Amino acid sequence: MKRSQFLHSLLVLPAAFLLPGCNKPETGASAENASGAGKKLTIAFMPKSKGNSYFINCEKGAREAVKELGVDLLFDGPTNTDPAKQNEIVENWITLGVDVMAVACENKEGISGALKKAQEKGIKVVTFDSDTTPDARSFFVSQATAQGIGEGLMDEAARLCDEEGEFAIITATLTAANMNEWRKHIEARLAEKYPKMKLVDTKPCDDQKDKAQQETTNLLGANPNLKCIMAICSPAVPGAAEAVKQAGKAGAVKVLGLGLPSENRAYLKDGITQSVILWKVADLGYLALYAAHALGSGALKTGDTSFKAGRLGELQVDSGGAIILGKPFVFNKENVDQFDF
Amino acid sequence: MAHSSRSLKAQLLRHDVLLLLVLALEIAYFLNFARNFGTPDNLSNIVRHSAEIGLLALAMMPVILTGGIDLSVGSLMGLCAVLFGVLTHDLHWASLPAASLTVAAGLVAGAFNASVITLLRLPPLIVTLGTYSLFRGLAEAITQGTKTYRSFEPAFLQLGELRPAGLPLQAWILGVGALGFYVLVHRTTFGRSFRAIGFSPEGARYAGLPVLWRTALPYLLAGGVAAVAALLFTARLRQARADAGTGYELAAITAVVLGGTSIFGGTGTVYGTVAGIAAIAVLNNGIGRIPAVLKAGIGGELASLLTGALLLIALAAPGLSKLLQSVRKQSTLPASANPSPSPTH
Repeated sequence: MKRSQFLHSLLVLPAAFLLPGCNKPETGASAENASGAGKKLTIAFMPKSKGNSYFINCEKGAREAVKELGVDLLFDGPTNTDPAKQNEIVENWITLGVDVMAVACENKEGISGALKKAQEKGIKVVTFDSDTTPDARSFFVSQATAQGIGEGLMDEAARLCDEEGEFAIITATLTAANMNEWRKHIEARLAEKYPKMKLVDTKPCDDQKDKAQQETTNLLGANPNLKCIMAICSPAVPGAAEAVKQAGKAGAVKVLGLGLPSENRAYLKDGITQSVILWKVADLGYLALYAAHALGSGALKTGDTSFKAGRLGELQVDSGGAIILGKPFVFNKENVDQFDF
Repeated sequence: MAHSSRSLKAQLLRHDVLLLLVLALEIAYFLNFARNFGTPDNLSNIVRHSAEIGLLALAMMPVILTGGIDLSVGSLMGLCAVLFGVLTHDLHWASLPAASLTVAAGLVAGAFNASVITLLRLPPLIVTLGTYSLFRGLAEAITQGTKTYRSFEPAFLQLGELRPAGLPLQAWILGVGALGFYVLVHRTTFGRSFRAIGFSPEGARYAGLPVLWRTALPYLLAGGVAAVAALLFTARLRQARADAGTGYELAAITAVVLGGTSIFGGTGTVYGTVAGIAAIAVLNNGIGRIPAVLKAGIGGELASLLTGALLLIALAAPGLSKLLQSVRKQSTLPASANPSPSPTH
């Protein structure tokens, strides 16, 4: 009696945990038939992490494209950024027999081995947001070029200042490679198009909001004619805004920068920060899915210089296989509530 | 006395048999309902993806058997990965000597745990909780928390991909590890004393066993195994970073306890641990391949949920059945207020 009860309790419970999947064996069969028929593509899509609101927006765009294109989507990724888990998921996708993978890579080189393995099995690979090594993918869907970001920031600053007056830059560090690249393009644009504007200083904030606030306060004190603060690392945008607010110069000194709309919503609404520049993240996911589909269906081949991506229209492909989403998007007081990342 | 040890054996056997049954059910279920579960490539992935945690579990088993615990093995993986990166990149060592020194360093770290626990007679939980932070902190300090070592020798990276005789290298290493720990724990007098120590360290001491040295050895081995796991992990991921092996100690403990080793020490088998590792690895891989789960993209989350449920069920089942039995006994007793000393027939 005792033994049978014990056995019973151990046997029934595992059966119960096996149940959730029991109800849908047919889906698997039909999915396999569909991909076997070679008509409906199965595209696997992986963010760096599933919990990040930036990537949740990417996913929204990707799902929009899935509806338009009529493909099967497998969406998975680590719960938190975890390169080991990304590799594992890619290797599992290989054995699941997907047609195309679109991956935002946490670890450029670490994932390249797994992606190359996928390519050897005939699976097409595109990356988006963050690239792997070029030999492990066909195309990289890039949010923006350094030139696009630099010129976008400078043009917006000039617009806010009526193309005239002094401005200063807050950067992360004076050695950060990507930001130095942006600054190069900012300064080139300044020299080329806005002769009446003057860059008076560039200060590092070590990617810290507090330090950005301190540096901005110092800049405001030292440069009474300052018309605009341009913060080019994301913690610096709210940091600079807070300094301008506390100095009582809201509106007199404009604030703009490169950052997440959600982190700057309050300052935008209060009129302290005028513009936050970033790409439309949902469009990035949408484009990644379109690129994956075009690559999988043969519409997009290595060496092509452009391709049409649904509502985004015709986009350029550069010689390194990068597909550029286009110009950065400007978030302001009026439109910020439409975005939740 | 003889009777009690036999019924104990029967209980152990039951747990092992039931665990194997769960494993068989999992496999049968996934073969039928999970997409491409039984393909050779996937079976090889199951082993490759669980090799590091599997190795840690094998090494954790004797530690737990002696009544101890080692929370530091995951952090030690991070430290060893970073050390290997420093040796190969910053000091330009070749892979083989660098790997050898890394394993030696793992053994030293294990010896450190062992000596603090045995010589200072401090509780293993507290000591390894300390080294858990210490090792990870050291790894993060060396890399300032951000540095990632990449680009290793192709020959070293092959460790992550090689398939001697058709089986992934990880399967061979796990097999050798399992065999080694099986022989140590079940086939040597040395290893058999782990059980005695786990039952009662005082008793083992009075019985004349060299308890200190025999308690120390499992921690030493765990350190060496963590280093080997770190090397395999680095080769498979093609990167060495301070966060390698984060949380792996808990996954290893889960596999050991699911495999029937008592968390208080004294009872347990190496083959039970192997079954525990397999049950978790198969669940992890298979659950994400069930079409509905695949569509929702929640394989990882569901796998950890089910692993937890499986562990709790396995642990609770014996107690639960006893509880049910006593409740039933109580309810079938005659309605007299005083429980009668002799049960009715």
